[in-house]
Amino acid sequence: MNKAIISILGQDRPGIIAAVSDLIFRQDGNIENVSQTILQSEFSGIFIVSLPEALDLDRLRSVLQEGLDPLGQHVIVRPVRTDAPVYSPSQNREPFVITTRGPDRKGLVARITGVIARFGVNVTNLQAIFKGGAAPGDNVMIYEVDIPATVDQKILRRALRAEAEALDLEISIQHRHIFEALNRI
Amino acid sequence: MLHPQEILSTLDMLRHEHLDVRTVTLGINLFDCARRDPERACTAIRQKIREKARNLVSVCDEVGDKYGIPVVNKRIAVSPIAAAAASLDAAGMLRVAHTLDEAAEASRVDFIGGFSALVEKGIASGDQALMDALPRALAETERVCASVNVASTRAGINVDAVLRMAAIIKDAAALTAAADGLACAKLCVFANIPQDVPFMAGAYLGIGEPDAVINVGVSGPGVVKSAIERALAADPGLDLGRISELIKHTAYKVTRVGELIGREVAERLGIRFGVVDLSLAPTPNVGDSVGEIFQSLGLVSIGVPGSTAALALLNDAVKKGGAFASCNVGGLSGAFIPVSEDLNISEAAQRGDLGLEKLEAMTSVCSVGLDMVALPGDTSVETLAGIIADEMAIGVINKKTTACRLIPVPGKAAGDYAHFGGLLGESVILPVNHGAGPNAFIRRGGLIPAPIQSLVN
Repeated sequence: MNKAIISILGQDRPGIIAAVSDLIFRQDGNIENVSQTILQSEFSGIFIVSLPEALDLDRLRSVLQEGLDPLGQHVIVRPVRTDAPVYSPSQNREPFVITTRGPDRKGLVARITGVIARFGVNVTNLQAIFKGGAAPGDNVMIYEVDIPATVDQKILRRALRAEAEALDLEISIQHRHIFEALNRI
Repeated sequence: MLHPQEILSTLDMLRHEHLDVRTVTLGINLFDCARRDPERACTAIRQKIREKARNLVSVCDEVGDKYGIPVVNKRIAVSPIAAAAASLDAAGMLRVAHTLDEAAEASRVDFIGGFSALVEKGIASGDQALMDALPRALAETERVCASVNVASTRAGINVDAVLRMAAIIKDAAALTAAADGLACAKLCVFANIPQDVPFMAGAYLGIGEPDAVINVGVSGPGVVKSAIERALAADPGLDLGRISELIKHTAYKVTRVGELIGREVAERLGIRFGVVDLSLAPTPNVGDSVGEIFQSLGLVSIGVPGSTAALALLNDAVKKGGAFASCNVGGLSGAFIPVSEDLNISEAAQRGDLGLEKLEAMTSVCSVGLDMVALPGDTSVETLAGIIADEMAIGVINKKTTACRLIPVPGKAAGDYAHFGGLLGESVILPVNHGAGPNAFIRRGGLIPAPIQSLVN
């Protein structure tokens, strides 16, 4: 059994997921995971599928692209590597949420993630909304991150606060449990 | 994955609606510090508090940082000193008060509660000594809070103790006349005092409690007010049933914060977690007021007709939401209406929308009582005792906690202003009906027997 990751990008419209899953089914593939979202008017879907050994990935890509052309979707197919992963998160880590709000400008995500990456902290989810302008509530970045136990949180917090201050951003760094405790039963 | 709205609404509560943990209170049992010699008793008390409270403030700050939720006050509550130091005389009790004050300062907490006596059925020698020491203990210390339980549903009302407390309040006020009787702000007279209140001035560690325990007081009047206003902006036709439901949900959230922080502080200190006290506790800041909630509900001001019903709705919804959020609920749990500590309530008193009688009526449905009420300096001991006895009766008959924190402000009259400073706030002095006159009823003394409600076995 081969595994592949398929990415579909294009303008959103009804029928995209139906078409993709039907095309995979017809190739005798099995969908293991899907993550799909819509950003503004754009559709983005990522599928991890298991496929018959005999199925060539170039062939799969051309079948998918041909089938999705009428829906205006772009297709990328890559094999999923089953050997040792490049990054394996340490067992001992804590989930935190970093939130920034402040005036929009270019490079905000790059500067904040630059600090996060320097400390070897992995971003597990990022949601950002930039409506532009100076109203802080209109421009929000939410990073869900896993901070390894080996990272000195005081130094990380200091570095993030310094970067946020330089960018005129309000920043908060909070353990994820506070949001779960407040909002979920 | 968290929904952005879950994160952003939480941040709004923190930044704009004063969501915080109002107090983490470490209860410390002092019964093993009993000594006949005052010096040795004070040494034992000092050592025990130092040992248990050493890391309280730093751990609260660390946990607060981790979750981004400030723990505003860190406090200590100890066993009732009248029982824990029962063999001492008044001079010895005064030394204990100073020791508690020093121990609180060394532990970097702002208040220490438990300079307390339980006298609902009679005054023992330790109680007598503590009560004799009370005026000076309150006037000469900065951080020591005192409480005396003079009534309970099971025992009735000890009117002798009520009279004694009224005289103590007058003495404490006189000793701090230059500060508008500030000493009285650290003294609560209770009916049905709970054993695990984390809030001052009534916090003490009950006799049935463990050697050390962490109790948490949450707050959040600003969060409740904002939730009501947001909901009414979205749907102006909301009826009171749906508003009650909304307050319940909000109280759930606030309580969960206290529970999370309290449990982690307790775990890190290696001390048992006790209770979350689900109280809406205001401060004199705009947006952190229980009084403002009344206006959000549609009343012109706290104190106008409808206020008691509004407070009943609020108090009940807070309890229901909080009880679902935590299995360890205790303390006072309800809504506080401290006049000087809540800017909006203080302004209502100033305008004449809220008087002593309406306040008393409202205490029949809230969690505390006549709290931080400034009265004319010439209010007689008997009148003060009458006010306290009335408040105790509400608690005793309704099987609930009530308390009085009354400040007869020396040299000032109704309509003047009293300034207590900081979290204690400021307030107009409320007029008292027949304030300076005699009261033969109260002077009869004795015990008002336990009501029929006490026969529950």
